[in-house]
Amino acid sequence: MIKLEDVTKIYPDGTKAVDDVTLEIEKGEFCVLLGPSGCGKTTSLKMINRLISLSQGKIYVDGRDVYQMDVNQLRRSMGYAIQEIGLFPHMTVEQNVTTVPRLLGWSKARCRERTAELLDLVGLSPPETFMRRFPNELSGGQKQRVGVARCLGADPPILLMDEPFGAIDPITRERLQDEFLRIQDEIRKTIAFVTHDIHEAVKMGDTIALMRDGILVQHAPPAEMLAHPKDSFVEDFVGSDRALKALQLMRVRDVMDETPPKVRIDESLETARGRMQELGVNFLAVVNEDERFEGWVNRRVLRRSGEQVKDVMMRYTVTGRRDTPVNEALSLMLGSAIGNLGVVDRRDKLIGVVTFRSLSEAIQASYSEDEDPDEAHAERETAA
Amino acid sequence: MLFETWRYIGNNWAYIGRLTVEHLQIIAVANGSAVFFGVLIGIFVSGRGRERLAQLVMYLASIMITIPSLALYGFLMGILSALGLRSIGFLPVVIALTLYGLLPIIRNTYTAITEVDPAMIEAGRGMGMSELQILWKVKLPLAVPVIMAGLRQAVVMNIGIAAIGAYIGAGGLGQLIFRGIANWRPHLIVTGAIFVSLLSIAADLLLGRVEWLATPKGIRTRGRA
Ligand SMILES: Nc1ncnc2c1ncn2[C@@H]1O[C@H](COP(=O)(O)OP(=O)(O)OP(=O)(O)O)[C@@H](O)[C@H]1O
Ligand SMILES: [Mg+2]
Repeated sequence: MIKLEDVTKIYPDGTKAVDDVTLEIEKGEFCVLLGPSGCGKTTSLKMINRLISLSQGKIYVDGRDVYQMDVNQLRRSMGYAIQEIGLFPHMTVEQNVTTVPRLLGWSKARCRERTAELLDLVGLSPPETFMRRFPNELSGGQKQRVGVARCLGADPPILLMDEPFGAIDPITRERLQDEFLRIQDEIRKTIAFVTHDIHEAVKMGDTIALMRDGILVQHAPPAEMLAHPKDSFVEDFVGSDRALKALQLMRVRDVMDETPPKVRIDESLETARGRMQELGVNFLAVVNEDERFEGWVNRRVLRRSGEQVKDVMMRYTVTGRRDTPVNEALSLMLGSAIGNLGVVDRRDKLIGVVTFRSLSEAIQASYSEDEDPDEAHAERETAA
Repeated sequence: MLFETWRYIGNNWAYIGRLTVEHLQIIAVANGSAVFFGVLIGIFVSGRGRERLAQLVMYLASIMITIPSLALYGFLMGILSALGLRSIGFLPVVIALTLYGLLPIIRNTYTAITEVDPAMIEAGRGMGMSELQILWKVKLPLAVPVIMAGLRQAVVMNIGIAAIGAYIGAGGLGQLIFRGIANWRPHLIVTGAIFVSLLSIAADLLLGRVEWLATPKGIRTRGRA
């Protein structure tokens, strides 16, 4: 947990970069610091790990005043990724990634193991190849992945990230964002993440802390900020197409059925038909003995001849993840034979199903949350 | 004369070899000390808030290089004898060459360290490296090739200057030259000149190779030298 209390920073030349900011980031919260260039995001972030000193106020990490802690210990307990990446060019990827672990005196074997794990996590595989490389043997996107891996190095509970995806092309960036969300889903860190990109903020953050001229204007979950902007600055900054963004904002996890009707691959067709009857549905998701997603059966294929489900089932063609945006899920579903979307985790285990019905229900629910029905109506028309 | 030189070399292998070793000893000790003090001074003046000091130190070091070596030997002899130390031979020459060698080494150390990408230093600091760890694990490894280039310059320059040290009895290949002048035996002068040049060229090649080897793999730009 990170807490800024009446924090002000005045640089020696008199610039008031941060002006009386009070901000609380809960444990496990992904907080995005957002705002136009020069509004004090980087300054705020660097005050947390004491790279920049405070002029006034206090900062607490897990209830302890950061100035009461040993500065190097404090920094080693939080991952730090700077905008310029700043990989050490004379060190291999492995040495870069294990910077903090080595400072903490981890054994060689443990460092190696950790490197493999992290490179795998950020999608640099096979790790054995990448860990021996030097930064000048990596592409820009790969460098940023290493930067993210390095910041996760010693598995710190807190991450401070300053535009960690800033330096890369939009496509790779999008992919890194998706991967990072997936990682965060598993590791649940407390994160302060700087960006000046509203789309990134909306996509990534559990909350957004919007700043202007050193002042914290609003700190709220993206949906709330979109629905109830505190003033015209927030409204202008987050944009006018709120309904559209709200749609993008929703994730598969918000709309999926987490206990979908399913059948095991080695069960008989008889059993499958019986289950569909019983549950009153017209499809079943097929999984194997490890709960891995295999495909679908519906009434039509169950009429074919065969003994077990696997003899007749349709193999899946597309799947979604928990954090796939709903608009993307929709287009995937339109392209799939069955019109449903299986949601799987990293190990291809089936964790839910999105159907057109669950989707439209969720979207409707989100509209009715809006207090002003006229406005919601108007927006639906703009969005359409 | 060429023939004479050739014959002289053929007949005096052992002697020339001994002078070469003497010459190398002077160079090794002088440049070893120059690296030691030069790197320390370079690191010191590259510290935060010492820009003015750095300018001053490098200014002094560059003035030092403009003092003719004979004059410098003269000063040093005076100082050393006042201190009751041996004022001719090895010691004053080594001290003079150390002073000459300082400039390229201080300058290169300073430049290399102050030009390390600030992003890297901030990353190191932000991850909890102490200032000493940043110096040792980030700045110095990155500076080593540049420092080595400075050393190479210093050595090549000093091999020539060291020859003049024979004038005050330090030995080395300069002896051939001075004997040649004193007794008007041109082939001695030529022999001395040839060996001093060869030594410079060899040192340059060798140190170029060492420079490459000392460059951390990740920042080597050209292929195997
Ligand atoms: N060392 C410094 N000395 C004086 N002023 C500074 C210093 N660093 C930053 N500033 C000023 O403080 C303000 C906030 O800077 P900061 O770097 O926190 O902005 P930012 O929100 O991160 O901007 P960006 O999105 O461009 O990175 C700016 O007006 C900047 O010019
Ligand atoms: Mg910034």
